[in-house]
Amino acid sequence: MRALTKTMRIGLGLLGSGGMLWLYAQDRPTFRIKVDMVVLSFTVTDSKGKYINGLKPADFKVTEDGIAQKINTFGEGNKPPVQVMEDGTTRPLNAAVSATEGDTKPATEVRTDAFVGTNVFVLFDTSNYMYRGFVYASDAIADFVRGLDRNDSVAVYTFSRNLSRAAPLTRERSEAIFGLRKAVAGDDAALYNGLLLTLRDAAKVPGRKVIIVFSNGPDNASMVAPDDVRAVAEDEGIPIYVISTNDVNKDPMSSAVFKRISTRTGGKSYFAKTWQKQVEAFESIREDLGNSYTVTYYPQPNPNEGFRKINVEIVSDVGKKYRVRARPGYRPRGGF
Amino acid sequence: MKPLVTSLIFVLTLSVTATAQDLHQRAWQMERDGDAAGAREFLERAAQRGGADALTAYAQFLDRHHDSGARQAYEKLLNATQGAQKSATARRLVELDLMAGDRDAAERDLEQYRAAGGRDMNLPASAPSEKLSTIAIPGPLHSFARMAALSPELTPDDLLPALARNIVTNGYQAAASNEALEQTEYLKLIVRYLSQARELEKLSGADRVIKIESCDSTQTGELLRVLGYRMRGGCGSEVVLETVNAMRAFLTIDSGFPLADLEQNLRTNRPFAYDYKPTMAPVLYGPDYWQSAKERQGGTFIDTFLGDPSLCRLYLAMAKLDAATVEVLRKDSTVQKLRAYAHVLDFYGGMFQLSNGRVVVPGGARAEKAWTDLVGAGPDKPGAFFERLVAKDDGWLASYFDALARINFNSANGPVQNYLTEPERMKRFYQAIRGKVTSPGPARPVFRSNTDMLLLTTRLRLDPDGRPHVPGSLDVWRQLFIDHPPGSGKYDAKLSKAAPGWKDPDDVLEALFGLCRKSVENEPLKIFLALSDMDRHRQTPLDAKTVDRLAREYRPLGPQYPILAEAPELSSATINQFLDVANTINGVGNLGVRADAAGTMQASVGLWQIFCRQGSIASPDADHALSSVLTAFAKVKSEREIFEAGHAAVQALLAATKSPAGVSPQDRMIDLLAGTSENDSSDTHNQLVEDMIRIFESQRLISLATIFELVDHLEGLAKGEKANMALINRTASRISEIQLPRTALSTVERNTLSFGYWSEKHIEAQRKLNLRALIDRAATDPKKLDDVRALMAPFLRDTLVGLNYVHYAPPGAQVLYTNPLFVRSHDFIGLLGASQTWKQTEVLGTGWPSSAGGKLVGSLASLPYALAEAEQNFLIPSREQALIWGDLVPQLILSATVTRWWNVTPAQLHWIDLHMDYTETRLAEAALNPAGRQAMLDAIARYAMPSRVDKIRELLEQGRVSAALDNVTPSELFAIAHDLLAENKPDEPPLAAEIRREAAEMPQQLNYAAISHAFGTPKPTLANSYSPELLNLRTFPTLMGYSSRILAESWESNLLYYAALADQVHLAPSQLNVLVPEWTRSTVEQIFATHLEDWPALLRSLRLVGDGVRQKARKQAAAAAGAGL
Repeated sequence: MRALTKTMRIGLGLLGSGGMLWLYAQDRPTFRIKVDMVVLSFTVTDSKGKYINGLKPADFKVTEDGIAQKINTFGEGNKPPVQVMEDGTTRPLNAAVSATEGDTKPATEVRTDAFVGTNVFVLFDTSNYMYRGFVYASDAIADFVRGLDRNDSVAVYTFSRNLSRAAPLTRERSEAIFGLRKAVAGDDAALYNGLLLTLRDAAKVPGRKVIIVFSNGPDNASMVAPDDVRAVAEDEGIPIYVISTNDVNKDPMSSAVFKRISTRTGGKSYFAKTWQKQVEAFESIREDLGNSYTVTYYPQPNPNEGFRKINVEIVSDVGKKYRVRARPGYRPRGGF
Repeated sequence: MKPLVTSLIFVLTLSVTATAQDLHQRAWQMERDGDAAGAREFLERAAQRGGADALTAYAQFLDRHHDSGARQAYEKLLNATQGAQKSATARRLVELDLMAGDRDAAERDLEQYRAAGGRDMNLPASAPSEKLSTIAIPGPLHSFARMAALSPELTPDDLLPALARNIVTNGYQAAASNEALEQTEYLKLIVRYLSQARELEKLSGADRVIKIESCDSTQTGELLRVLGYRMRGGCGSEVVLETVNAMRAFLTIDSGFPLADLEQNLRTNRPFAYDYKPTMAPVLYGPDYWQSAKERQGGTFIDTFLGDPSLCRLYLAMAKLDAATVEVLRKDSTVQKLRAYAHVLDFYGGMFQLSNGRVVVPGGARAEKAWTDLVGAGPDKPGAFFERLVAKDDGWLASYFDALARINFNSANGPVQNYLTEPERMKRFYQAIRGKVTSPGPARPVFRSNTDMLLLTTRLRLDPDGRPHVPGSLDVWRQLFIDHPPGSGKYDAKLSKAAPGWKDPDDVLEALFGLCRKSVENEPLKIFLALSDMDRHRQTPLDAKTVDRLAREYRPLGPQYPILAEAPELSSATINQFLDVANTINGVGNLGVRADAAGTMQASVGLWQIFCRQGSIASPDADHALSSVLTAFAKVKSEREIFEAGHAAVQALLAATKSPAGVSPQDRMIDLLAGTSENDSSDTHNQLVEDMIRIFESQRLISLATIFELVDHLEGLAKGEKANMALINRTASRISEIQLPRTALSTVERNTLSFGYWSEKHIEAQRKLNLRALIDRAATDPKKLDDVRALMAPFLRDTLVGLNYVHYAPPGAQVLYTNPLFVRSHDFIGLLGASQTWKQTEVLGTGWPSSAGGKLVGSLASLPYALAEAEQNFLIPSREQALIWGDLVPQLILSATVTRWWNVTPAQLHWIDLHMDYTETRLAEAALNPAGRQAMLDAIARYAMPSRVDKIRELLEQGRVSAALDNVTPSELFAIAHDLLAENKPDEPPLAAEIRREAAEMPQQLNYAAISHAFGTPKPTLANSYSPELLNLRTFPTLMGYSSRILAESWESNLLYYAALADQVHLAPSQLNVLVPEWTRSTVEQIFATHLEDWPALLRSLRLVGDGVRQKARKQAAAAAGAGL
């Protein structure tokens, strides 16, 4: 409760002091998680790749450039997040952030359940490159949407040369599927432009969010480079999952980029040429979402204005054998 | 605050005896002071007190601002007046009713008008237009439209012409194995869709509704089979539809079949019903006209249509003609005959028209004989005339006819059509165009290939002596053709041979017309037009020597000429100085140094250009300012000299903009770029400044202040001063933020494309610069410190280039915010061997082949267009399948980024709005009074093609004013008002007096030149200048070599529409600086066009944005009223 209240206060503080981001964004959705607060999602697996659940905040040590961070909130899977107190104990997080003292304005902007569940943005490639597999991909995505946890929200975007917001973020599965089934096959592929715009939208939404890209890789129309888009995702703390409908060796360049983007943002990449493999990939992502931990914290003073390296360690002895998968770091800037 | 006080004073002093004129005057005064909202409130309060005068003033105010409450206010007034005033009020109400498309109200109010004594208005009967035969296309319109890539906003009449166009342009391709045409994937999908739709139609039964009673009913399986799906899981909540036949499923999804609804109903076991009535598409002259007897037996009309591209071409062509022309063609020719010339008719038939049974030829009666000679049939025999015209010379004569007919009178150009259609001259020039071999004709390619001819006839201008303007002197052109510049190849051997004998401007024109049909680049014409445009606004034309030099250096430096054209005050000396400097820079051997020199110089000149355009550099100072900037670069050869030159250029710009002494150069530059207004109290300026700073920061550029401070400090160090570590560290820290240049290309790509090498090297060198170490090592050694100073030159280049980028940043600016190396990556060298340093700015490296992202290459001359081009794919269409228009969208965006509206006044916005209102009123009157109709149609015909005039005539004859207005663009509304007001005829609407009175009160602001400058659009292709201007041309078609770019430049409606809109919702003009880019983005995102010439789709989108803005304003006003504000 206090942590979120603090978030809101900092946001308002920026507004009061003429923060440029807020002035600029007058006509845009006005809620932003303050850039100071870091949202970090990660998974823990054992040596066989099996997810490890049930760990507590005290089991983790999060550092940035080696500087230990104090965890403010902690969440596991789709369970409601808890607030981590000074003494390491936890208490339920009352998401009624509308109780922001002295100012009620932003309360209307924040869903009280904003931090419960995951906001999933599906980015579906409808360019010519996907022509042959278009309908199977549509089926696989529909299955994935249907199978999401009820606390999750989902948006379906499509892209060819331009982005299309086929279904805005919703908890209504039927709305998302309706948007998906409206998709029209397009022409050129501007994958990284589309991904960037999806990131911009996702960044405006509070809570945990992920982007799932469903594409077969080629891009013939983007102005932005994959690594610039990846940097935005890192900075915004948004994991990117990629399901490629190509064999990993068919287009090695795309495959390498997909791997790099997903790994560096804390997501995963899948190379699933057949419908069955695509369904499996989605299943794996769903599992990932259901078994990931999410912590938030306000970074401790750090003179490094460049890339800050994040490290998540499990402090208990048993945890030494586990593997943590998290994004490697971010740049402390406001982004868009 | 001031407006509020003014408002209160007026309210308090409101006299009960105030006349409508008094009230109007007071309100107008408030509007002039920028308080339109206060004026509205003032009049509303007065009206609430009652009295006909107050009601009159209030109603008229609302009317003038297109307020939705105007009709209601007039109705109140109608009940409060008698006699002549009642009659006038009823009359206005009828007009407004018709403009709103409310025929019932118009009939009621017309009764009131008659009851009040009015006699001169009649509402024409709303007779439906001639019923066309229709054909049934299986399935709903939206599905067919999705499959055929048609906008669902098309009217039924436009459906088949639009389909025909898509079939012609996208439906067929040359077969790989032979010369026959084969269907493209686009057309194959339409054909497959129709097949599936027919199956679905069968399932839909007699009532044409596809019905499924429940999940397990018998129809379910059959429907799913046709759709290509099957159920996974048994009926119930777990049922899921999955693909079983990929092709069928693709058609199902792509045609927008409501699969999700079907699935949902199956899951819940509810009945599913889907209306599957066929699309009824009207067919011009009925299907039988188009099909032979054999074809009629062979299949449905739609199948024949899709299978025959030549039929589609003819259908498209006929749909563009005016009704009378079509009648003649149908009567005197057959479909089979016309098919052979369908391509010519399609491209060049649009200006065909008849008057009193005779063909209207360019040049009128005087030219009829010449046309008879050229065509082989006289205008008095329309059938024969048209048939021979399209058949003659592979279409060259028809294209000439079209180019001449399109010329509309333009006071800046003079009576060009009259000149060119002088019979002997017209024949002479045609012979030049025709040449000896006419193939290939100008209608053979996908786009019209008479681009050059159209540009020449459109942009040619006559001098006051009535002769064509030839830049420089005849001798310049004679010599140019005899001894053309190196590298430009041979213009034409015959012309070179004939040139020594040229004695008259017509000789030059003849040569230019002759070159118009060459398929290679027409360099002489480009030179002629570019130099004509440089002369266009100059008080004294350029001297022959300068023109000669400009002509000869056009090939390497021509793209820079629009910069010089934008400032007509430039002296020949400064223009020559510009060319000298460019040549000096070209002489720098080291390409890295050359790139820095060119970048720094071009960026400095770019800033000068912006400051001149925005008035920050006064016109009389423009020449001296540019000369000062250029002087600094006169002898640059090394990085140190480049730095000194850049530094001096900034100082010259600061001086030319009358900047206060000691001002931070960075802050001042940003301030100037954002633009200023003495009268603006809004935070618009701050908002723009903040946006610019954000972009500047995103690019990790070093501010001018820091660079200059550091360099000054280096001088201090040489004198033994103590090192300012804070400053050094600050600069070093910013340098350390420069990221590693991403590998732009693989080795293979680098070998084939080879661009980006020098920009990567440029970034790499900056990144590796260890400033602290260098300064440490240099200690107090002046030579070494001087070397450090030289190393700052690339940083200064990037900062100056970056300032140009931030000024022209398109709305959204995603690339600039995301790629921190975008400015630094600007490649001033370009492709290997292409020498792009002075060429147009181009976007290169988009898409996967360059994983470094796109970058700009070439000079900064067309930076606004290139930045807009780079941004266009980030726009998000509001609907699926909408077309973002490759060549049109960048032009729309740059119209919003090049112009600023700091010096526009509320009176100017209002004046524009009044003009549009005036034409709308005249249109309404033309519907109600047949006597004035033809004059109105003649006025429209100066800008609209004959078929559109025909359509408007038909609508007016039916009293459908609102629909008629949908066919007139905002720029036409403005231009027609200008023309009609100039005629100064009696019986004008009262608005005319108001427009003239306001103009007389403020002649400096309210004149057509001022409006043209403030709300015209930049036309870098058409007018060779980024200077905003209204040309009032007919909207161009797509053209070979330019696609829809010239069409976009001839589209002048957006800014005029936004100006009127701002007046209607009482916005301060300065707010346009922020709102126009946003409105433009919104306009583009809502365009739902079918093809590249679909400007009506653009108009629809523009009006949607206007509706949204008005709606928002009304909501805000209601909220403010509710809150008691």
